[in-house]
Amino acid sequence: MVEVVADRVAPEQKKSGALDRGVVERLAGDDPEWLATRRMQALRIYEATPMPSTQLEEWRYTDLSRKLCLDKLHSPVAEALPDDPQAWPERLRSTMAEDHDAVGHLVLVDGSVVHTNIGAHLSSRGVVLTSLRRAATEHPTLLEKYLATQAIPPEDGKLQALNAMLWTDGVLLYVPPGVRLEHPVRVTRWYSETGAAFFSRTLIVADSASKLAYVDEALSDDFDQETLTSQAVEVFASDGAHVQYVSAQRIGRGAFCHAAQRILLGRDATLDMLNVSLGASTTRVDLNARLLGSGADSNLLGLYFGDGDQHFDHNTSQDHIAPAARSDLLYKGALDDSSRAVFRGVIRVAEGAQQTDAYQTNRNLILSDNARADALPKLEIHADDVKCSHGATVGQLDEESLFYLMSRGLTRAQAERLVVVGFLGMVLQRLPLGGVVEKVTRVIEEKLRLGAHA
Amino acid sequence: MSDTTILSIENLHVKVADEGLAILKGVDLTLPGGEVHAVMGPNGSGKSTLAKVLTGHPGYEVVAGTVVFDGRDLLELEPNERACAGIFLAFQYPVEIPGVSIANFLRTAMQSRLVEGEELDLFDFQDLLLDRMNLLDMDVSFAERPVNDGFSGGEKKRNEILQMAVLKPRLALMDETDSGLDIDALKVVAHGVNTLRCEDPTMSVLLITHYQRMLDYIRPDVVHVMVDGRIVRSGGPDVAVRLEEEGYAMLREADARTVVQM
Repeated sequence: MVEVVADRVAPEQKKSGALDRGVVERLAGDDPEWLATRRMQALRIYEATPMPSTQLEEWRYTDLSRKLCLDKLHSPVAEALPDDPQAWPERLRSTMAEDHDAVGHLVLVDGSVVHTNIGAHLSSRGVVLTSLRRAATEHPTLLEKYLATQAIPPEDGKLQALNAMLWTDGVLLYVPPGVRLEHPVRVTRWYSETGAAFFSRTLIVADSASKLAYVDEALSDDFDQETLTSQAVEVFASDGAHVQYVSAQRIGRGAFCHAAQRILLGRDATLDMLNVSLGASTTRVDLNARLLGSGADSNLLGLYFGDGDQHFDHNTSQDHIAPAARSDLLYKGALDDSSRAVFRGVIRVAEGAQQTDAYQTNRNLILSDNARADALPKLEIHADDVKCSHGATVGQLDEESLFYLMSRGLTRAQAERLVVVGFLGMVLQRLPLGGVVEKVTRVIEEKLRLGAHA
Repeated sequence: MSDTTILSIENLHVKVADEGLAILKGVDLTLPGGEVHAVMGPNGSGKSTLAKVLTGHPGYEVVAGTVVFDGRDLLELEPNERACAGIFLAFQYPVEIPGVSIANFLRTAMQSRLVEGEELDLFDFQDLLLDRMNLLDMDVSFAERPVNDGFSGGEKKRNEILQMAVLKPRLALMDETDSGLDIDALKVVAHGVNTLRCEDPTMSVLLITHYQRMLDYIRPDVVHVMVDGRIVRSGGPDVAVRLEEEGYAMLREADARTVVQM
């Protein structure tokens, strides 16, 4: 027993290294040469880029100097769990047990892929679902072309560079031309190591006229020290491809969750995307949809529900580069206790992107006197034949609605729950992929029960 | 007051909350169980306010008077407690609740009537809902639509009666349910209400309306005429007929004479 205790002490020495050059060099040491070069290049960009301050418009409401203390974080040191569900935490297993039909599963625990499976009928047709770390050697051509290059290069920003130099693992999903997945691919992430910084990347390539659905759930218990999860999500929807992407973040308090997401859409490509943010102490999402081909169509949905002192910052942009493309964004949130939300969304229509249809809506429901939401919608239009609109609302529960429901016998708390779940549920109903509606609704109801709406 | 009295209103004075504006200025009304009473009167006389006050709307403040419902002090109860005690208001302007289906809403309302820990039998509920939609000539898909969201005026009124038929109140308050209904829809609604009264002969109805035509389909036992916050006349169905013919002007004169006599 004494030896075991001594073993547990050992990782402390590794921890002292924090997130410095040594960690990057150690990771690069395991990389193929092309990747090691890129990692070191990302490090140089990181060092040359200042940490974004609240002086920047995009970071005005989220003060990184207060909310993200990189010096206190360490690289994860825990051993990877075996590919055996019996060895996994109960919450991870029960979440997966609820998953409905899926064509493949991938499980990450503390940033490392511990399990992958994809239907044999799909892998024989060239569909790839694998760990990004393995893909670096097994699918180098694909990664060299797409990983941290056209979508989220390290030049994008300080946090993007940080991810590009420190990522340890992630997901590669490739669907060849014309192949259509009949059910979603399910990715489940579990985090447990408190005080660690987790960096992962997701690369999804939907080749021409292919179809895929991807559901990514992240969860953990609460952390007693600040913990970071950083994700870079790169999605390529080639000509005529149809991509459905759902992310449900239910990470525990104490975490800072950053997700950088960029989707590039080719000609006649379709994207349906839903970001659900329920967990973490601080959530920052940088979403960018780039409509590069005419006829491209993107539906961007978002939902957040804050309680306690949670902070959400959604920073979205819809870039219309090609003419005759459409984008429609709807983000809805409810805020209880002293939680806060910022929504900053911009529609940019490039010169020459005529016949653009672009819409952006953000709606917030404030459930407590101490909660707050700020909405900053924006249009930058450089073409003259376009249909664009944006709108944002911040409101409270409507007393007439509550009275109506109470006049049928519902208690005030039941009435409030019904109205809030209805308000947010409309977003979920627009992309009801396997089981997520039920899971998210349950979490929202749980949050409402814990609050003053019990 | 007889033993069968379900609702007894005495000297009820009501003003708009946070304002001085008095709306009800001493309403007296007694409603025996199982009877249908109509309240008629010109715009602004306080008919709708009376219905909302009985339901517990927070926008009004009771200044004086008593309301006893089924032996209980109604004014002490929260709106949801009044509903569970058996009061139902068919709203003049039903509220839209986006994202909440009628079925889910009614299931929650039924569940709220059960004692703590008791679970609603979902099969029984489904049967009841289907039966009631059938009674009101409604398509089954109606139950999955969000409450009043995007409904036409007639659909909203019909939805009110559907809720009434599912929740089976002891006292139904109907606030201008006839407005916005064409004659066919009015017949369907009246048939629904009359069926509920057959099923439960002790159910009482307080029917607020401007027009005699509603009373052709739901026959009142008593018609009350409200003017300027008071019931100025009560009588049999013939009162409604006379009102339709002669208008309210005659009553105002009658009211003025009453005041003079005092």
